[in-house]
Amino acid sequence: MNGFLFGIALQWKLDIRSKSLLVTCYIVPLIFFLLMGGIFTSVMPEMRSTLIQSMIVMSISMGAFIGLPPSLLQTYGSDIKKVYKANGVPLYLGLVTMFLSAFVHLMISCVIILLLAPILFEATLPVQLPFFFFALAIYIIVSLSIGSVLGLIVKNQAKLTMIAQLVFLPSIMLSGIMFPVGLLPDFLETIGRIFPASQGYRLMLDNGFCLENLWYLILVFCVAVIVCGILLNKQKSK
Amino acid sequence: MRGAIWVRELRKSYGSHIVLKGLDFQIEKGEIFALLGVNGAGKTTALECIEGLRKYDSGAVTVNGKMGIQLQSSSLPAYIKPMEAVKLFAKWNRTKIDYAMLNGLGIKEIEKKQYIQLSTGQKRRLHLALALISNPDVIFLDEPTAGLDVEGRLSLHEQIRKLKSNGKTIVLASHDMAEVETLCDRIAILNNGNIVFCGTASELTDKVGRKYFIHIKTQRGDNTFETDNIEDTLISLLSELKQKKIHVLDIKVDRGTLEQHFIEMSRRKAE
Repeated sequence: MNGFLFGIALQWKLDIRSKSLLVTCYIVPLIFFLLMGGIFTSVMPEMRSTLIQSMIVMSISMGAFIGLPPSLLQTYGSDIKKVYKANGVPLYLGLVTMFLSAFVHLMISCVIILLLAPILFEATLPVQLPFFFFALAIYIIVSLSIGSVLGLIVKNQAKLTMIAQLVFLPSIMLSGIMFPVGLLPDFLETIGRIFPASQGYRLMLDNGFCLENLWYLILVFCVAVIVCGILLNKQKSK
Repeated sequence: MRGAIWVRELRKSYGSHIVLKGLDFQIEKGEIFALLGVNGAGKTTALECIEGLRKYDSGAVTVNGKMGIQLQSSSLPAYIKPMEAVKLFAKWNRTKIDYAMLNGLGIKEIEKKQYIQLSTGQKRRLHLALALISNPDVIFLDEPTAGLDVEGRLSLHEQIRKLKSNGKTIVLASHDMAEVETLCDRIAILNNGNIVFCGTASELTDKVGRKYFIHIKTQRGDNTFETDNIEDTLISLLSELKQKKIHVLDIKVDRGTLEQHFIEMSRRKAE
């Protein structure tokens, strides 16, 4: 347990030093929040009630789909994974520590948005904060599980960047965080529902904590866990 | 001496490509044993199968004692600091850090640098320190001096000899004939997935004969001469050049390389 906690703390520091997670979890999402927060609330003042949730979805999507996968690829696509076997620790330990470290980074980023949005843009705070944080944690976990699959399944950095963008962009554009999904053509609205960002967004809105939004996220998480298990087992048996 | 490692009929293939075709050898406790081979001969695969890092198709491997594995460079995260890696490995192995060993390998001097900022020699020293964290009985080194300068190479040889004097068994993979000749008690030469020789360096020399290559640079160009008898050949070549009044610019003498020994062994096998 001591080694496990040390590993998570070390990974958290390495993430900051590597700068890639620092950029995708903090710098870009927070700059986006500062710019778009100002634009959204002046063009559409009614967005003040959803600004926190929409900026958080953007932040989590970026950190989980673009930030986490390259770190995983660097470990599981290289000799670094041998470190685990050579020391008799399970191969999944790297994934778990990177997952938990990214979870903490994303949570911090979201809390910054939550604290700054009401001050800077008069955004409305969620009414039930415990439920909000519970929904936030669920969405971060589901998004990171998708990021984990991407990092383990794609073996090439260039392909990974392209595929991560193919998950990230529709998540942002079609989930309703930039503009209401009702404005989208029907087929784009349907595609948008496939990406967990739309469910995560609804889940974080005060009226969205219901089984209808939860079941899909749970399903995605379970599938991702199974896929990660298969991919790690495949690496183990080489 | 008692056996430290037994390898029996070890076979491994990647798809249709057979890499190891049934290796058989035994390594004694306290000896330095080298697996030699050109790139692609299968020495890293063999080493990784013995270490348990890679699954093999069939055969049996027994390692008697705790293992310490020196991984190749690039097997640590780029931004980790040496002492962080040491602490992590110590926690994973549930062992205390041996600061005397770390000082001996010069880890203290590089503790503030990140892995990506270390030179090849510093990385090798760090990987050796990490392999020794758990005070292992058997130490595996994969090309331990590859990419090192002369000073780094000699320093690492010194460390390896110290480990041997402390009773450790050392198994190393290398393609450097000169290195294993001075360092190792026994060597196994891997060629095309088979062990073509297993014994001491002097037994190998007896088997294939000592080969020397004399490279002579003159005003008329460069020439290389192969010989078993360095003194006679050199004297006759120089006197011939003197007779012809050809001015010698440079002379180099090389021992036969591993590749040349292979060629010789393959030629004899074919005959």
